[in-house]
Amino acid sequence: MQILLTGLASGAIYGLVAMGFAVAFYVTSVINFAQGQLLMAAIMVAAGVSAAGLPTGLGIVAGLAVSTLLGGLIYVLAVRPVLAFDRFSFAWLVSTLGVATILEAGAALIWGPTSRSFPVMLNDQPVRLLGAIISLQQLLAIVIAVAVVVAVELFRRRTLFGKLGMAIAADPEMASAIGANTQIAAIAAFALAGLLAGIGGILVGPITYANPYLGETYGINGFVALMIGGIQRPAAAMVGGLVLGVLSQLANTEINSQASDWFPFLIVVVVLLVSPTGLLDAARWLRRRPA
Amino acid sequence: MKSALRYARPAAAAAIAVCYLLFTLAIARGTVYDQSLVTTAACFAILAISLDMVAGMTGLYSLGHAGLFACGAYATALLNSHLGIGVFALLPVAVVGTGLIGLVLGSLSLRVSGLYFAITTFIFTLVIAVLASDLKITGGLQGIEGPLFPSFPAGLAWLGDSVTWCVLLALLVTIFLVVSIRASALYPVLLAIRDAEPFAAAAGVRTAAVKIGMFGLSAALAGLAGWCFSFLGIVSPGQFSWNISVNILVMVILGGINTTIGPIIGAVFVSMFPAYVNFSPLWQELVYGALFVLVIVFFPAGFTGLVVRLARLAGSRLRLRLPSRASLAVPSAVDGLAPRVRAVARNTPAVECHHVSFAYTKGVKAVDDVTLIVPAGTIHGLIGPNGSGKSTLVSLIAGERRPDFGSVSINGADLSSAGPWARPGHGLARTFQTAVLVRELTNRANVAIGLYSRVPRIAVRAPVWPLLPRARRQARAMSARAGLALSQVGMDSWAGKRVVEVPHGVQQLTQLASATVSGSGVLVLDEPVAGLSPSEVDHVAAILREFRAAGGTVIVVEHQVQFVFGICDQVTVLSAGLVVASGPAAQVREDARVREVYLGQ
Repeated sequence: MQILLTGLASGAIYGLVAMGFAVAFYVTSVINFAQGQLLMAAIMVAAGVSAAGLPTGLGIVAGLAVSTLLGGLIYVLAVRPVLAFDRFSFAWLVSTLGVATILEAGAALIWGPTSRSFPVMLNDQPVRLLGAIISLQQLLAIVIAVAVVVAVELFRRRTLFGKLGMAIAADPEMASAIGANTQIAAIAAFALAGLLAGIGGILVGPITYANPYLGETYGINGFVALMIGGIQRPAAAMVGGLVLGVLSQLANTEINSQASDWFPFLIVVVVLLVSPTGLLDAARWLRRRPA
Repeated sequence: MKSALRYARPAAAAAIAVCYLLFTLAIARGTVYDQSLVTTAACFAILAISLDMVAGMTGLYSLGHAGLFACGAYATALLNSHLGIGVFALLPVAVVGTGLIGLVLGSLSLRVSGLYFAITTFIFTLVIAVLASDLKITGGLQGIEGPLFPSFPAGLAWLGDSVTWCVLLALLVTIFLVVSIRASALYPVLLAIRDAEPFAAAAGVRTAAVKIGMFGLSAALAGLAGWCFSFLGIVSPGQFSWNISVNILVMVILGGINTTIGPIIGAVFVSMFPAYVNFSPLWQELVYGALFVLVIVFFPAGFTGLVVRLARLAGSRLRLRLPSRASLAVPSAVDGLAPRVRAVARNTPAVECHHVSFAYTKGVKAVDDVTLIVPAGTIHGLIGPNGSGKSTLVSLIAGERRPDFGSVSINGADLSSAGPWARPGHGLARTFQTAVLVRELTNRANVAIGLYSRVPRIAVRAPVWPLLPRARRQARAMSARAGLALSQVGMDSWAGKRVVEVPHGVQQLTQLASATVSGSGVLVLDEPVAGLSPSEVDHVAAILREFRAAGGTVIVVEHQVQFVFGICDQVTVLSAGLVVASGPAAQVREDARVREVYLGQ
């Protein structure tokens, strides 16, 4: 139970990053490799603001605002010019990685390359739950992650703007022919991805502290979560994150403390061999079988 | 004059090779600092070139190259230190071994395409890096010392550092391989696999095998890079992590994807940047990232792409002229097709479909128990409303799909379970509804792809193509024959233009030429006159009649009823996957049911 809850808490963060990947990918077919660095940016800004003696709440808002803005900016500055040249080119890989490097080095320049303190928030309040002890902060991470999934899915399916995103994902030319502003939608998707990463950052900050190199860890774990869940739907990405979190935790306690380095990848290999489009598709495929 | 031109290319190649060797000599006799810079850059240049072979030419974005690189390096270091095998004996081991790993990885991961291929290979790199850091034998995170490369014997000591020679010669071999493939008849085929896979398959290319083979060759070169790299010092997991895989792709894209020189420029830039831009490490990283973004945003095709685009802009101003429609209708140009068609006795069936059924999803039959016999030397029309199963039937005949039930025979051979690449060998060629061609190649090069099945062992000979006089002759013959096929459809004035520059009508006719060029006796055409002007439609009709007169057989799917009844001997009408009517054109035209389901009366 302890493993499950701790795993779910860390998995929720991976899931948020993975959802960011998925949201941006599904509107633009681009994987934003600076996604993990957006999480880091939110942490650094929030830590910076509260270190300046301002209230924690303000720091959180500032952190979220910065990661959201950066998300949108990445699309405008680094992705749109590449897609305008050739919609099928992979050159965005280079430009988003460039942005990731800039953000990381920039944060290290501004705040220094070592870890800094982060507001404790709710991390010092343990709760007893189903025989396990986790901090209120970890519980909050799980709850918020679930709430975010519900909100994103509702937004995607029930609002016109969300449906527009689906239409653009299916066929950008057709969508723009019916009058959709694909540019605005793409910027919004990247900004939303930034917001999701930012939420993840704020939730995990009290546990990890503020460090400019956090982005890489969470970027890669978020990406693995995305692979497990499948790239097509944001909710599936969150499930992938939770699965990854629990399995990593399990590997760490049951095998050895380094097992989380390779265990997730083993999972991904198995998932891809069974079902190249992610675990959830495999589940659906299994369900469809008997019929 | 002509013979002078003929020797110009080899002479230029020799001159470049001599310069390269002189450069190598200078570095090998230079400072250790320069040597370490150049050899590291050269290792990455080999990797970048090997990645470009699959990513740029074949469209397979591999992120497994750091892992393959590690396989070569660790194999060399471990086998040398534990079993004491000499470094030269290990060269074939590292190269072939990594190549085999590449073949296995390729055949496993090519089941999935596009992004998922990148992801599967990415995970391969992760697994290798984790194995390298967690296993005892690999020395964990510290890594192991690479083997010592023997220095030159006393008599050759004036050559300088032997490792520099070794690495730079390996790079030269790699460059030669990639230049050869670019010069070979395989290159257009690879681009076709990348951009228009059905077209390549219809030309007789076993696309999956070629892709896996290319990935294997690329992996072998990555193994070569690893072999070289092991002589440069310590071999440790950090040098083969996933971000190295990404970095290699960055080198390729930054330098210019699918160019010979681009990956080298990219590799030199990325690996030498930290040495030459020397300020505080954080600022250095910041500038590095900013450069990535700036280069890609302003020159999305990389350094080389920028140069090529400028050159083309200047060139096209001078050359590009818009078409005059009159040149399309040249009936006399159709002459001479006759001897090329492989004659099959008239009235024997050229294409036979017996009780063929096919369903995309269970229960809904797209083609339902269709029997279609097309005698040689006739034109057979397939018509029917949208969704009636015409295109599905065509894809069954052409082998893109296998029938659930029933059989398909071409010229007497049962090909029900054979893929599209088996068709050209039995004399069947096809075109596609929307022209699928390689847009960056000329019309002539596209048509030459249609000759793939006529020239043996193109793929195997590609890596050493320029060295084989026979292969060079064959390439010239292919080009000449492609030009002839284009002139037979009246398109000779367009032969040298790239597809991206030509109008739709020309693309359709280029497709037709790529189907006729191999001398196939049976043509399957999917909407060959869609979107053509009336005079172009007449032109296609004239070509097809000429083809029939020469003994050729045509199956044509078309919506333009006038065109169909104008040229077809027999017409079959499909509706909801079923044959509604079939018989002589005049008879079908009068059929009451046909008028009802199709002509709307």
